[in-house]
Order: sequence, then structure tokens, then C-alpha cells
Amino acid sequence: MNANPVGGDSAPRKEGVAFGLQVWLLTGRFLGNAIRQPAVILPNLGISIFFLIVYYGSFGDSPAIVQLTGGNYLNFVLPVTVLFASISGGAAGLTLVEDLESGYFRRQLSMPLSRTAMVLSAMLLGAIQVTFEAILIIALGLVLGADPAAGALGLLALLFFSLLWGLGFAGYSVATGLLTGNARAAQSATFIFFPLLFLAPVFLPFDQLAPWIQAIARVNPTTYMLEGMRSLMIDGWELWPLAKALIAGAAFALVTLIWAVRVAIRKTSRA
Amino acid sequence: MIEVDRLSKRFGSGDDAVDAVKSVSFKVDQGEIFGLLGANGAGKSTTVLMLTTLLAPTSGDARIAGYSLSSDGAGIRRSVGAALQDTGLDPMQKGGGLLELHARLFGFDRKAAIHRRDELLDLVGLRDAADRRIGEYSGGMRRRLDLAAALVNRPRVLFLDEPTTGLDPASRRAIWDEVGVLRESGVTVLLTTQYLEEADQLADRVAIMADGEIVSTGTPAELKAGLGADVIELAFDEEGVAEEAVSVIGPPANRLGQVVRIPAADGPAELARVVGLLKEAGIESSSLSLSQPTLDDVFLNIVESRGEGVGR
Repeated sequence: MNANPVGGDSAPRKEGVAFGLQVWLLTGRFLGNAIRQPAVILPNLGISIFFLIVYYGSFGDSPAIVQLTGGNYLNFVLPVTVLFASISGGAAGLTLVEDLESGYFRRQLSMPLSRTAMVLSAMLLGAIQVTFEAILIIALGLVLGADPAAGALGLLALLFFSLLWGLGFAGYSVATGLLTGNARAAQSATFIFFPLLFLAPVFLPFDQLAPWIQAIARVNPTTYMLEGMRSLMIDGWELWPLAKALIAGAAFALVTLIWAVRVAIRKTSRA
Repeated sequence: MIEVDRLSKRFGSGDDAVDAVKSVSFKVDQGEIFGLLGANGAGKSTTVLMLTTLLAPTSGDARIAGYSLSSDGAGIRRSVGAALQDTGLDPMQKGGGLLELHARLFGFDRKAAIHRRDELLDLVGLRDAADRRIGEYSGGMRRRLDLAAALVNRPRVLFLDEPTTGLDPASRRAIWDEVGVLRESGVTVLLTTQYLEEADQLADRVAIMADGEIVSTGTPAELKAGLGADVIELAFDEEGVAEEAVSVIGPPANRLGQVVRIPAADGPAELARVVGLLKEAGIESSSLSLSQPTLDDVFLNIVESRGEGVGR
């Protein structure tokens, strides 16, 4: 009880903290909390690994399918399981719902923090979780016999795409979490992921899909992300599929970021 | 330091609109502890949420620490601290870690943030619990940490919204001690409370809010003096009998459970009149006393005169 609460030799910056430092510090808090609860990502990681093993076990030895999918079914299906891991980005929304419920979100709003930084840091948490899972899945794929045509650098590019996709998915989950303020509702909203994923060339190349699925897949950003990742695994460094994947991933992340920030601003009508 | 000018908040629209705060104006000088007193739903917390920039006002304005609420919310957020009714703490963080993080977010460099963390842990007596998760803290420890978090940026103005609600007497006393330290440091404090004893103990001046309006302002002594020199207190065996006694005695008698209190300018004379009235009505009290008025009496008198219940 002897400290001076207002005086003292250390003082805060009058002009506030730079946006980048806010994002860094807030993301660090989210990551610290996530590391203390590793079990949160285990179910989704388990499902992704399960799909990899089951798909590979089911189709990997079928000569017709192997021929259709470029010679190594593992190379074809690995990006699918990496995208499955994107659902982990949903943890970002749940994290923000926890902050809403504990009152910590409001505490942050009363501080001189950018709402964009608050939203972006939660999205980065989701993206980092997705990337971490992608690393484990790719490592398992390599052990099983995946052979990326673009080499080790191609795998880094694959991870970059998974981070971008995770960022977009996390933005969606943050927006739904803020909209509903309810953990169960936010979690339910992540199920939109399944139609997005399955209405894309998941098990077969695009030209092998039924015409009605092709029509949907053509406007589904998942298609371009998946084909960009696959091109790294099967064809090597092909500019056009990679450019389309980059555009689809960046657009998805940007749209969901803008949406999440708008929701945050609308839900928090601070002066 | 705080100048509130006709601040209002309306929730909803049309027939469903609720005016939670109705053109409230008041001024708090630098270093003053100002208490906003009122029952649940009186508009205290809504006022604080607006002044801490967490809720946009429907109309009106305020200047806080030199910044305008309508045009410089960011300036206010940098200059004030707020410990709101529900503590805003991350249960996954450690107490010390949270204070250090907040210091960094307010712009302290790493070394200064650690220094500030330790200062605040000492202030609220949580140094020994610094490495424990906040989720493991008791209610009183959370309140104290919340207060520390509100002080990280060395605020010139501090908002405390019902800081001791739900706390045991020892924890309440600890918070009061900490507010006492703030008083000595010259921080301007706006405190809301339902506890009249708390306002009496801590506040230099008090505004009583009812139904979204400020209905009375003054020092606790002024408000009590406005009621008269004495208070007659009568206890009854049943609430129904106490209610009957209030109607027999008439205003300004007010009831709190089985107890009826009557402010009076001349206690002994009024006591004789009251005893006569009760005897005439055939009502017997179980005890009777004459004392000085408290802030409870001020509050109950205002609430009774407005025809509102206090919900207890």
C-alpha cells in the first residue's frame, strides 16, 4: 500500500502504442493462452490425420485413381487434409467469445487499443494454429510417401497458403463469434466449412466432377486454394495456379477481416 | 476534471424506448471523490459506460481530463482508468502477467512495464499471488487486481463502478483502503455504489440518481443535514405492521423491512407525536430509538418521495 498509483518515474506514451506493437502483444496473449490449452486443437488435428490416412488407404492403391490424380494419390490428397485443418481457425472466434464472456473484451475496449488490432490478433491466432497443424500433417504425409514436385520451398509455400486460408477462416469465425457472443453458436457457424470444402475438387480433379458441382466449384474460393496447393505437390512451380490461390486466399482473408472489424465496430458503439 | 453536460442515453425506439439516463449534468473537481448513488436501474452504470467511452451517448457531451467525449474518445481512453461492475480480467493469465501486458499496451517499455507491474501488485497487496492464474483468484482478489489494472496508465481520472458489490466485509474494507490511497495521490474518482455506507465513507460529494436523473447533490453532511437533526427508528415484529405504521405516521416516514425510520428536525417532539399516533391506531413497536440521520435516510427519503421502491 505504499506505491504511488499516479506518480512515479515510469510513464506511458502519450500518443499511444503503434498498431503493429498492439497486434504483436495481443497475439502473444492469445498464443500464450492457446499453449496452455493444447487439447483444444487435438480433435481437429486428429480428424485431419484420420482423413489423410483413410483417403490414402482407400484410394492410394487404386491404379485408376492414381492415374487420374497425377501418379501419387498422397500428393493429391495432402492439400485436402491441410485445408481440413483450417477449421481450427474457428478457435479464434471461440477465444473472442471467451473474452466477451469474461468481460476482458470490454476491458480492452476501454483502453486505447485499435479494434482492428483486437480482431486481427485473434485472426492471427487462428492462422498460427492452422499452420501448426499443417506442419504436423505435412510431416506425416512425407513419412507416408508424399513427394512434393516443388521441393522443400514448395512445402514452405504450402504452409504460407495454409496460413492465409487459416487467417480467412479465423476472420469468419471471429465475426460470427462477435455477432452471436455465444460459444456454441460460433462453433456451429464453422460448419459452413464443409459445403465449401466438399463443393470443390476434393477427391477428383476438377474436370472429373459432375457439371453441377463444377458450376459451384468455379465460384468457390476453396477450389483455387486447393488447386494452387496441389500444383506445388504435383506439378512444381506453376505460376497461374499459384497466383489464383494467392488471390483467392488474400481476398478471403481481407474480406473476413473487414467483416470482422465492421462487426466489432457495430457491436461496440464506443464514443 | 469531469464536466458532464446534459448527457442522455435512450435504448430502443418508439414505444419500446427506455430513457436510461435523462439529461444528467454534474462536475467533479480534480482530486475529488464523487459518488453516484442509486438503486439498481437508476442509470449509474449506464452513465459510467458512456463516460468511459464504452457506450455512445444519445445526446449531450462531457469533458474528461480535458478531452471531449464527443470528439476525442481516444484521448479519454489514454487518460482514464475504469474498474467496471463486472471485472474485466482474463482468467487464463497470471495476475502479474496481465498487469505487465497492459503496461506494454499503454506504451511502457519492457523494463518500465515490469516496474509498474510490481508497483501495482504492491499497491493492491497481490505480490504473492502474481504468478497464479487469475481464474484461481477469489472474488476479492479479482476486484483488487481489476482496480490495479485500471491504474496501470497512471490515470488522472478513475471510474469505479460498484467496486465492492458482492464482496465480503474484509475485501470491501481492503478496496476502501486502496481508494483512500488514491485520494492521497490526487486521482479524481467517480464512484458508483448501492452501498450508502460506502458513499458516506469514501465520497467527498454525492449525487443521488433515480430513474435516470440526478435528484440530489451535495456532500454527505449536507444531504443528511437537509433531512433534519434527528432520525426516529421504530422496529416492528412484522413487515405488515411496519407498513401500517408508515401509513399512520405519513411522510417522511419510510420503511426498510420491519424497521421504520422518520427524519425529524426536532426529534423529541416528533417522537412524542409518533408515539401518540401509533397508540391511537393500536400499533405496538418492539423497539424505539432516536439517532443522527445517515445517508440511508437521505436515499430512502428521496426514493419514497418519488414513489419508487428500493428493491430490498
